[in-house]
Amino acid sequence: MSKQAPGVRIDGLTVVYKTPAGELPAVRDVSLTLEPGSITGIVGESGSGKSTLALSLLNAVQPPGRISAGSVEIDGLGDVVGLGGEQLRKARGRHIGYVFQAAQNSLNPLKTVGKQLLDLGRSHGVDDLRGLVREAKELLGRMGLDGARVLDSHQHELSGGMRQRVGIMLALVLNAHVVVLDEPTTALDMITQANILKIVREVHAERGLTTLVITHDIGVVAEVADRLAVMYGGRLVEQGPTREVLGSPRHPYTRGLIKAIPRLVGDIDEARALPGRPPTLATVPKQGCVFRERCALRMDVCDDVDPEAVLQGTRTVACHAVTVKEHA
Amino acid sequence: MTVIARRLAGHLARGLVMILVVATISFFIVRSIPGDPVAANVQKLIEQGMAPQAAEQATRVLYGFQPKGTLWEQYVDYMGGLFTFDLGQSVTHAGAPVTDVLADAAKWTVLPVLAGTLLSFLVGIVMGVYAAIRRSGKLGDVLAISGSLLHGVPQYVLGLLLSAIFATLIPILPADGPVDILFEPGFNAGYIGSLVEHAVLPVATYALAAYGGWILAMKSSVVTVLGDDFILAAELRGMKRSIIFRYIARNAILPLFTILALSLGLLLGGAVFIERIFNYPGLGLLLIESITMRDYALMGGAFLIITVSIIVANIIADLFYSVIDPRVRSGEEVSA
Repeated sequence: MSKQAPGVRIDGLTVVYKTPAGELPAVRDVSLTLEPGSITGIVGESGSGKSTLALSLLNAVQPPGRISAGSVEIDGLGDVVGLGGEQLRKARGRHIGYVFQAAQNSLNPLKTVGKQLLDLGRSHGVDDLRGLVREAKELLGRMGLDGARVLDSHQHELSGGMRQRVGIMLALVLNAHVVVLDEPTTALDMITQANILKIVREVHAERGLTTLVITHDIGVVAEVADRLAVMYGGRLVEQGPTREVLGSPRHPYTRGLIKAIPRLVGDIDEARALPGRPPTLATVPKQGCVFRERCALRMDVCDDVDPEAVLQGTRTVACHAVTVKEHA
Repeated sequence: MTVIARRLAGHLARGLVMILVVATISFFIVRSIPGDPVAANVQKLIEQGMAPQAAEQATRVLYGFQPKGTLWEQYVDYMGGLFTFDLGQSVTHAGAPVTDVLADAAKWTVLPVLAGTLLSFLVGIVMGVYAAIRRSGKLGDVLAISGSLLHGVPQYVLGLLLSAIFATLIPILPADGPVDILFEPGFNAGYIGSLVEHAVLPVATYALAAYGGWILAMKSSVVTVLGDDFILAAELRGMKRSIIFRYIARNAILPLFTILALSLGLLLGGAVFIERIFNYPGLGLLLIESITMRDYALMGGAFLIITVSIIVANIIADLFYSVIDPRVRSGEEVSA
């Protein structure tokens, strides 16, 4: 296996869900490149399609959803969308690690962590199970836990922060180099959040990973991500280096998001909530810009034409208003 | 293990208290039913012109015993006897000890009920898993509908139906008691074959009546577990299907073990109709008979054995749970 972190190229990805009203897209025509060794953050509200996008990286969109178009190329693995059966199963865990939200119970409540680790090893044909346990203890120790004790514990005996670290251990223990973290700090207290983010950063750097962090919390992204992608209504509306996007947001939705964050210092009233609500699967407009209903810069063209993602320097923005301004 | 030992001690203490309370209540309630047979017999003999002394004497000979003392003294006597498993004597069985009469009847109830329940449990949970996995297909529909149908039909209707079809309409199976009297009781092929042949219909009735409940319970339990995060998590970690299946099965079957233990306890008393239909001289028939004959001691004994079986089933269910569910074992709250 190559020591070098693999790159991931998502191209034209569309994921639809079967509903009584027909197949509706939860993710539409999303293209995103995860540079080898980078941490990319995806920010969006609930229902923006970010979790569906994350599951697509493992070709694990749950029925009634399915990937209807596009590809997810991972170095050393090929197009994940084309994988199936045993090949896909073996890729999961070995090549791509997935870390669940801490509040979700991602462990079998009836078995100790250690026994589930052995199940994982056997599933992936690991011959040296002792070595696997050693590796797991090392990883847990690295994250500040008593490895032997944790492996001997059941899920209900672990705190949220401990479970999250167990989740990270299970995602990495088979030496996966692409890691997806879905809401890694949601439902954790502030101190534990900070700890987990520190661990994510350090482990990412030490092991040479390519990491994708899904979150609704811009603070998390600002903390860990090199690059930031903003999702709205199943579309990627803006992406670029984290500092630039947060420092000078271009898409009106990104601007709205950042304006909505209350500052620690200064007038609390400076925080402005974005008017309106995010669309659901059923209310996402079939044509035109997905954000226009809540947009201050809405133009006639927004009603009919879906803005394409346009590369502007280091940034990609999908907005008619912004693009027009640039060209004018 | 000390946790389990402590739980067991607590359960046994509580169970003992419950048994004593039930014994007390049934002692007094049973004796408040009008129609005391001993008094009635004495009365009858006196009316036939016998002297009261002689009438009492004759009754004592007839029933093999004579109640002595006030009701309160009888109660103290009865409760004392409980600790040596002496439940008094049955007036309808010529003074035979109630314990013996109950033990004799219990074998005709316990074995068929146990066989029927375990059979339906095994078949029901396997079918329940299929019904859950194939719930959007034809097989799932068929299984679920068969479960609902059988669950909805009362046990005695099933019993009558089976008896009518297989014993009367197409007489291929007997429904005339637990065994052919032609055979010498003992460990010989003829006797055992006859036992098994006679048990087919009642066991099938118990099994069919319970099967619907198991398939529906297991189906819903599996569907719940399938939606649990840890199943998706295991899939995303690339776990083998066989391992994931074991995760699902073990988690889904957990709540059903409790129902199993409880239903075994309940079934001892619920076999009345089936024993009537198939002429099994079990506990259910015995209970009916004792009530009709106002056989106080036997009634009390039958109530007591039903109570004890439910209490014991509860204890077993709870202990079993703490063995198979680590969340209960460690004495912490179950946070699902």
